[in-house]
Amino acid sequence: MISLDKITKSFGATNAVSDVSFSVPEGSFLVLLGPSGCGKSTMLRMLAGLDQPTSGKMQFGDTVVADGGTGFSLPPADRNAGLVFQSYALWPHMTVAGNIEWPLKVAKLPTDKRRMRVLEAMEMLGIEKLANRYPGEISGGQQQRVALARMIAPRPKVMLFDEPLSNLDATLRVEMRFELLRVHAATGATAVYVTHDQVEAMTMASHVAVMNNGRIEQFDAPDRLLAEPASAFVAGFVGTPAANLIPIENGMWFATMPDPLLRGFSGHAMVRAEQIVLADEDGPRTFEAVLAEVVPMAGRFLVTGIANGIRITAVSDQVARPSGKLRFRLPAAPAAIFDKQGTRIS
Amino acid sequence: MTTLLGPIGSAFNRYGLTLIMALALVALVAAPLATILVQTLYPSAGAWSDVLASRLSQNLFWRPTINTLIIGFGVASGCVLLGGFLAWLVVMTDIPGRPVIAFMATLPFMIPSFATALAWGTVFRNGRVGGGGGLLEGLGFAVPDWLSWGTAPTIVVLIAHYYALAFTVIAASLATVNGDLVEAAQMTGASRKRILFGIVLPVVTPAIIAGGSLAFAGAVSNFAAPALLGLPVRMQTLSTRLFGMIEIGQTERGYVLAILLIGISAIFLGLGNRMLSGRRSFATIGGKGAKPRRFALGGARLPLTVAAWVICVLTTILPILLLVAASLAPSSLALFSDWTLHYWTGTADPAFARGQPGIFHNPQLLSALTTTLILGASVALASNIIGILIAVALTRQKVPALSNLVSQLSFLPMLLPGIAFAAAYIALYGAPIGPLPALYGTKVLLTLALTAAMLPFAVQTGRATVSQISGDIDEAARMTGAGFFRRLGAITLPLAARGIAAGLLITFVNVIGDLAITILLYTPTSPLLAVLSYSYASDGFHQFANAVTLVILIISMLATGAATLLRGRRRQSFN
Repeated sequence: MISLDKITKSFGATNAVSDVSFSVPEGSFLVLLGPSGCGKSTMLRMLAGLDQPTSGKMQFGDTVVADGGTGFSLPPADRNAGLVFQSYALWPHMTVAGNIEWPLKVAKLPTDKRRMRVLEAMEMLGIEKLANRYPGEISGGQQQRVALARMIAPRPKVMLFDEPLSNLDATLRVEMRFELLRVHAATGATAVYVTHDQVEAMTMASHVAVMNNGRIEQFDAPDRLLAEPASAFVAGFVGTPAANLIPIENGMWFATMPDPLLRGFSGHAMVRAEQIVLADEDGPRTFEAVLAEVVPMAGRFLVTGIANGIRITAVSDQVARPSGKLRFRLPAAPAAIFDKQGTRIS
Repeated sequence: MTTLLGPIGSAFNRYGLTLIMALALVALVAAPLATILVQTLYPSAGAWSDVLASRLSQNLFWRPTINTLIIGFGVASGCVLLGGFLAWLVVMTDIPGRPVIAFMATLPFMIPSFATALAWGTVFRNGRVGGGGGLLEGLGFAVPDWLSWGTAPTIVVLIAHYYALAFTVIAASLATVNGDLVEAAQMTGASRKRILFGIVLPVVTPAIIAGGSLAFAGAVSNFAAPALLGLPVRMQTLSTRLFGMIEIGQTERGYVLAILLIGISAIFLGLGNRMLSGRRSFATIGGKGAKPRRFALGGARLPLTVAAWVICVLTTILPILLLVAASLAPSSLALFSDWTLHYWTGTADPAFARGQPGIFHNPQLLSALTTTLILGASVALASNIIGILIAVALTRQKVPALSNLVSQLSFLPMLLPGIAFAAAYIALYGAPIGPLPALYGTKVLLTLALTAAMLPFAVQTGRATVSQISGDIDEAARMTGAGFFRRLGAITLPLAARGIAAGLLITFVNVIGDLAITILLYTPTSPLLAVLSYSYASDGFHQFANAVTLVILIISMLATGAATLLRGRRRQSFN
């Protein structure tokens, strides 16, 4: 449904987005995930039509919506796409119903049809009672629902979200995550969702594009990101807790503990928390660490210690909360090995 | 003893400051207003019928009122158009030099309106009322009366002065609508025009109304411009009429006019407020501060840029340059020839300017200069100290009805035309009260009235200061165990000092540029610079008036510049 071919966006001499290509089928939920400044919002703005790519081609279905080569760009309204802003961008002088109705008015829908669509959108988000209130009179969570209703009322084929949950508190965020998925399923539209929160990506996405420095580090299903991270950046960014990246030098853990399994590589070895055990006594692949923190989680403990200046996290099933000096034992084989540039080599 | 004093003592600790401030405000603001009302009703209410329903009322009230309203509406609409236009250019378009235009557009408010009025005269004056024509007449044009004197020039001059207010308010509001709100509308496919009328204008409407009613209130209470440009052809507004009545000793009639002027200004400010409070709060949630979108002006870019610069230059630099030239040129018809420093430094010479010496040889000037500076400094200090105390009382000691009274009274002077407020001061403090001597004609009265008039600004500065004292920052210091004075010295003062100093300077600038209050209350033996300039101008000594005005301008600009530097880059930027 959405396909990008070598999209680049430069501001002056710097590339905010460089050479991005991917495609997702209709009805998918694509999450653009990355730290701030990685170019994900610029990507979204180009999809919305608010910015134009410097080069590359962008298609919605069979329609070319932007072509950097020819400078062609379909105006936002003709793309059949809706956008939910991080700030919600509700028009403060219109009521809730007025906000939802205005885009339909601009699209010249007849009155009765408009009324039906507005009602439908409000019902879907459970905000019928707020119809005559003004944005300034309702809570943040309610404003978020209004913004969603306003976006879906024209029935867009592409729904765009710009960090929509970042202004909500933790409880509301979980609730709205579910609400968003429900709306997505009910409309069958293709969603593109920008966030820096990997939990949102893991829970909501059908496809994830992990972005860093304007490039896509990995484009995959959420489970594949965890199972087979393509780069050290991805390995360190996704997962709760994220996998440990332990420095290795010439086949030695921490440049001090030789291990034939490392086959002389230098860079980082990825070891998942669940692969590291808390050892009672010294042994092979065992090292000491200073306890940093213990997080109880689902009946287990996430134990983090610091060794050689690196934070190492392990999962412990022990009943007692560990304290003082820790002893970690590494698994027989690391899940992956990355070279110094972060590229996966094993 | 302790049991007796205990409750009273603790009540004082809890309410004392609020109580004292309430009393001070009653004396400074409420009492003069009450007195003026009482004196027009008792012992006789004859002044009311004289003004409103007698053979004289046509001249005393109705015609001045019509003139006042024409000027008020003319200035309000002009300010909204001009200020709104510049705000739109600066905030929403890609016009080059936005920060400079934004800065220039806030300057006119710092130039006293009598300076702009005098500058108008240097160009457009005709010889009808004596004193020689202006530049245009010198170039051989016959300047019609309507362009030289009366309503039209008054409106233009006041627009040039007050549009800065409208600009500031509208630009701030436009900056909030720009970005996400406009992009959300663009996503729907709405045309530019539809976005402008459907989204931008409605969201900015409250700011437009606010800017318009502020300009209206300023225009109807202004004294300098109608006095300099209207009085020579007998065009009266309520404020010039009020001045005339008090000057010729018909004080009751003057007081009635003062009350009516306050009423008119209050009605329109109230109407504006009414329209605003009916609307919902327009607060919007902050996003990541979307990059403001700028309409590309395309082919209109050059003409609009030129227009913006012309407006800015005409209202800031040009009046000053004209005043400089006019203070040097012996003939008002030829501003740029035979320049001489006589009007500044010349000694008395019967062959020149009817024997008037240059302003630096006029003993009155030096005394006026020191009086003005001392007055400005003492009023700035007094009003800001009271302002901080009021702010503390309002945030720390909340007393049900009393706090509300304090807050209302401290903002009341903002709504009061200066000249009417001065009249109220004459009514109350002009005659001895018990053991207190009459203060009329003393600097004390002038200081009191100006202090009260500056309170609204001072309280605002005070609130900003106190919010810094009482916030998390102070609590963080308190957690370390630092004592009150330690915190004051190490945390509060360093944080608040720049703000307080800037507040002092702004008050100072307002005081030395004021004519509306000082013209009624100044001490004849040592007048103020503004009054001196006004009396030179009304005696036809324009070069001297211009020179004195320039002295005021230089002091104002120095103080304003210092205040801007102190505030640093925390002001809104339009980059």
